[in-house]
Amino acid sequence: MRKRAIAASVLASMGILTVGWQVGMATTVTPTSSSGDTASGTAGSSGTSGSSMTSDTGSSSSTASTSALKDGTYTGTSEQTRFGDVQVQVTISGGKITDVAAVHLTDEGGRSVQISNYAAPILRKEVLASQSAKVSNVGGATYTTDGYLQSVQSALDQASS
Amino acid sequence: MRHVFATMGTVVSLDLAEPPVGLLPRIEGIFAEADARFSLHRPDSELSRINAGDVSLLDASPELAEAYALAAEWRSRTDGCFTPSRPDGLLDLNGVVKAIAMRDAGAVLESSGFEDWTLVVGGDVFASGAGQGRAPWSTGIVDPADRTALLCAIELRDPRRAIATSGSAERGDHIWSSTGPSEFLQVTVVADDILTADVLATAIVAGGDRMLRAACEGWSVDVLAVEHAGGLSVTPGFRSALAAAS
Repeated sequence: MRKRAIAASVLASMGILTVGWQVGMATTVTPTSSSGDTASGTAGSSGTSGSSMTSDTGSSSSTASTSALKDGTYTGTSEQTRFGDVQVQVTISGGKITDVAAVHLTDEGGRSVQISNYAAPILRKEVLASQSAKVSNVGGATYTTDGYLQSVQSALDQASS
Repeated sequence: MRHVFATMGTVVSLDLAEPPVGLLPRIEGIFAEADARFSLHRPDSELSRINAGDVSLLDASPELAEAYALAAEWRSRTDGCFTPSRPDGLLDLNGVVKAIAMRDAGAVLESSGFEDWTLVVGGDVFASGAGQGRAPWSTGIVDPADRTALLCAIELRDPRRAIATSGSAERGDHIWSSTGPSEFLQVTVVADDILTADVLATAIVAGGDRMLRAACEGWSVDVLAVEHAGGLSVTPGFRSALAAAS
């Protein structure tokens, strides 16, 4: 389940990077290495462009798991993003997206750069899964003395003091 | 054992694993002194008198001089996204004062031999003890769309000791963006120290995408950014810190 959530979230990441990728649309991808399979032909038609990560929290997951995707590693077309030019490399195994990596990043000066710590979109669903964890404190934007009384932190403080 | 007290217009929650044995007056004193010196709601505070022109910044106390120097340094580091200068020209050091007080309170706790504690001040969290054989700190992050609900929870260990969150619609967040409305409704920064976390959270809300990228590249931090439309972005470190569902 966790793995699927990751696959779904990276799928959404692709969408927000708008690399022109549509799951199952072979015209936008080029196989760079695969186990004999190619990207030609249709690999399924139930894809979603996922152009907005907020537009969808459920169907990306189901798409990733139900599309008849051919195994292999595919590289999306280079697109300009807020991170510079980005190509996304997608690994599909057993019909599912198992890995997504940004493979080509350049800064404004045209140099290739490795961005090891950048903020990438994440599916709300994956984040929300952590909600049910037991917490001892709550972080949030500054509250006033009055605002504190309605805060989750206030409830936690009352429960443990 | 949790101790809650109001100060600086907000509330402090200090959770100690051991009895505080006379420590609380010192901790409360740190915040009370900072409030008396830096509050802009008190006409007799040192900062209010400097703003009124009654006292020169050159004659400021060492504490105020330090806060001013830190704020000016962070303004430079963040290319002006963080600034102690309000649009009306007044000097407002509250963007660093809360974090300085939390840092100093943490130093008092440590020098007094306390190793296991969390300090929450107005939504910012500074903690000690996890990662030394103890359980990680589990901290919820408020959902900006529903302040009574959590957006997520993260588990942190040393050296990630500090969590600060800034919002574009909050009072007292010291965001005076000159670049128009922020893309971000709320930004949470996790860092090794509370000052870095607090300042960068404010700077990213004020400076938007460009500052988000600069912060991720320039500092060792984990970030969660919430866009106005509800979209979420996280750094790899923040993603891996997300708590497992229970």
